[in-house]
Amino acid sequence: MTVSVYEEIAFWILGPLSLAGALGMLFSRSAVHSALWLVLTMLSLGVLYMVQDAPFLGIVQIIVYTGAIMMLFLFVLMLAGRESSDSVVEVLRGQRIWASLLGIGLAGLVVAGVARSLGDVTPAGLDNPAANGSGGPGNVANIGQSLFTRYLFPFELTSALLITAAIGAMVLAYTRKQAKGGKNRQREMVNMRFRENTRPGALPGPGVFATADSVATPALLPDGSIAKESLSRIIETTPVTQIEEDEALADRHPDAHALTGAARDGDDGASIVASPASEERSE
Amino acid sequence: MTTPASLPDIDYAGVAPVLIILGAACIGVLLEAFVPRSQRWAVQVVLSLLAIVVAAIALGAYLYTGPQNTSTFAGSIALDRPALFLWGTLLALGLGSILLIADRVVEPGGAFVAQAGIRPGTMLDKEQANRSSMQTEVFPLALFSLAGMMIFCSANDLLSMFVALEVLSLPLYLMCGLARRRRLLSQEAAVKYFLLGAFASAFFLYGVALLYGYANSVKLADIANAAGGTNRSDALLFLGMGLLLIGLLFKGSVGPFHTWTPDVYQGAPTPMTAFMGACTKVAAFGAILRVLMVAFGSTHWEWQTIMWVVAGISMLLGAILGITQTDVKRMIAYSSVAHAGFLLVGVLALDGSGIRATLFYLISYGFTTIAAFGVVSLVRDGTGESTSLSSWAGLGKRSPLLAGIFTFLLLALAGIPLTSGFVSKFVVFAAGMSAGITPLVVLGLIASTIAAFFYLRVIVLMYFSEPAADGPTVTLPGMYTTAAITLGTLVTLLLGVYPSFMLDWAGTGGFVV
Amino acid sequence: MEYVPILLLFVLGFGFAVFSVTIAEVTGPRRFNKAKQEGYECGIEPSPQPVVGGGRMPVAYYLTAMLFILFDIEMVFLYPFAVTADALGVFGLVEIVLFIATVAFAYAYVWRRGGLDWN
Repeated sequence: MTVSVYEEIAFWILGPLSLAGALGMLFSRSAVHSALWLVLTMLSLGVLYMVQDAPFLGIVQIIVYTGAIMMLFLFVLMLAGRESSDSVVEVLRGQRIWASLLGIGLAGLVVAGVARSLGDVTPAGLDNPAANGSGGPGNVANIGQSLFTRYLFPFELTSALLITAAIGAMVLAYTRKQAKGGKNRQREMVNMRFRENTRPGALPGPGVFATADSVATPALLPDGSIAKESLSRIIETTPVTQIEEDEALADRHPDAHALTGAARDGDDGASIVASPASEERSE
Repeated sequence: MTTPASLPDIDYAGVAPVLIILGAACIGVLLEAFVPRSQRWAVQVVLSLLAIVVAAIALGAYLYTGPQNTSTFAGSIALDRPALFLWGTLLALGLGSILLIADRVVEPGGAFVAQAGIRPGTMLDKEQANRSSMQTEVFPLALFSLAGMMIFCSANDLLSMFVALEVLSLPLYLMCGLARRRRLLSQEAAVKYFLLGAFASAFFLYGVALLYGYANSVKLADIANAAGGTNRSDALLFLGMGLLLIGLLFKGSVGPFHTWTPDVYQGAPTPMTAFMGACTKVAAFGAILRVLMVAFGSTHWEWQTIMWVVAGISMLLGAILGITQTDVKRMIAYSSVAHAGFLLVGVLALDGSGIRATLFYLISYGFTTIAAFGVVSLVRDGTGESTSLSSWAGLGKRSPLLAGIFTFLLLALAGIPLTSGFVSKFVVFAAGMSAGITPLVVLGLIASTIAAFFYLRVIVLMYFSEPAADGPTVTLPGMYTTAAITLGTLVTLLLGVYPSFMLDWAGTGGFVV
Repeated sequence: MEYVPILLLFVLGFGFAVFSVTIAEVTGPRRFNKAKQEGYECGIEPSPQPVVGGGRMPVAYYLTAMLFILFDIEMVFLYPFAVTADALGVFGLVEIVLFIATVAFAYAYVWRRGGLDWN
């Protein structure tokens, strides 16, 4: 069995990387970090597959595992709360020691067994049509041929798995919102929004009269006064006095054509603020 | 333009039972989507029962043509006698389970929760506990699972077997968590089963990978050929086989791989426990039988000692731990672990009489289990089923008929003559004796004696102790549960009194290679 | 050798990313306020997260992710089919249509049950 230099270089880069990812996943405190470490492992494995003459598998590994499945992992972690951590109480005494000992033992056994028998294996090569008995040239064609002839039944059976997964997600995660006491469905929500709310669109941004484009800058109405709705609840740079004045102005039905009003600039961040006034801001 | 591929030939008549069940499951999903909620239950029950009956007719029609042992779908699915027998068994047990699932009289609205998405213990949850609806998705899910089981015990290559394993397991994980009462316990059971099951699947898959590395094929026959024909290192073969078997033994809740069984049996909704206890056992042992005999039969001298030990551990663990249980469902769970050990004796005979004995054991055990869980679901108090053994005291005085039926079923589980349990134990041990595994058979007899103790203890409890004042009541079952219990009990009796016809059916042939 | 363009693309992409980040760091002005420290979510203000549980996400995201995986896997199977469609002929077409139809059942179920509604 010969290994080309390039393959060896790729292996010695990707192997340690994937191992590091796996270890990082095990030992990082935060579950989200664990998931990200796992991404590293899966990416490295995907590239390793490509090096091994299996480009389709490699790409699938990256698209499905690193893309879709890891995304699902992250969502699930977020469902549980990203700060929530494992309980460290050992329910069965000595379980960890035994589990690690036996785990390491099994790993050793498997690695030793595989290593011992690797010498006898002749690589088939996925590109070689004769190796897997189908006529098509190339890796993907061969996979297609096997998948749709020899492994037709398991292939069609996977659709049953996919249906079950969809049903499972719906059954466990979804409740009929329109039931008594629940929320409305999307259509009713839209109708309600337009019937009851005076502002179906977005809240005003800084706008053409603004002196800066930061979200901290309130939007100005044509008369230069401040649009109340643009004041942000979480931004503390707008001075209280200014907001109160502006709100007083805004309440006076200003003349839209005046274009002057009480525009101020230069005193951004002049005083400290928590803006109680902006609590009234409509959502 | 590429050359046309050689397309696999498909024996549609042969696989029709599986395709019918799968198709009905798909239609069930569509019905879930488009039928108004008030009619879903009725439509789903009719569809499920109809599908099973039609599949059974298709199976009968295929058998009537006197088919040879063949395989179809390019060798993925075996159509041999054991497979067809197991399909019949699974369809019959599936019918019983669907009947139990469909019952809405015992528990108003059914044993399944109305909306699983509602968090247990909240106001909404308390409100829905008394609502007379259920998640009707259970029916298509059960059909998917049933189809997966049928494929699992007829899969002739490890890839199909793996996909079938997932198709049968995924709905089970899901349905375990859908109990109407004691929802947290049920959800805990589902999570435990899912995590451990996923772990076992990983072992199975690792085994498949190693075996593929050894034989350059996932077909069982090719693995047997490779094992016989080469002089290369057998490390891959036995490592792969070991990992593969861990996955399979887990599903059959054998011996040291049984840890999920009591918790899941206890937490799952009782109709689901019946389905799992009866059908999963059949599917798992069908697959174990096929894998051991077809793929590893030629190397059995190398590994059979280990499997003897596993069988022994399973019998003793089930029997001894069963004694300490105080909950009926857990007790039957441990009894199923012991039964798994007895079943392995039949499997390890590794010959025609072993196949016959195992198949007979599976069908008789399955029917007894379904009837037993049907009875368990009837003994209730204000909070749902009353499964604690102490509350069963004096049941013989309260409801002689129910206690009588349960006594009969327990005697069948214990293996007392005139029940199917006796015949099945007898044929299994006879097969073991003739195959020369006498020590294991002796161990089996000892374990049976130990196990008989805890079955008899329940009987004594039911008849010879005073009923508690605030004890549970026995609910009058509806049509469906009555049908399921009657079916199970009658078959248990029939196979005990007149087993020869079933033994003949079970013994008509071996595996296709 | 046939992977050299891909490698080149990786190098270009990586180089562009590094360049953009460093050049912004070097040349950009630094005037911080609280708003700039906030997470940026397409112009929508991030809503305050509950203290308990460390910011849980609604379970609806999970449904969407699950559906995405479903169709992701379906798509993965379509590619080898497309490559071998010629050789497989009508038989292959029937197979893949059956597969897609079955997965579409799941879609119909989720859609009709309102799993795709977004509140």
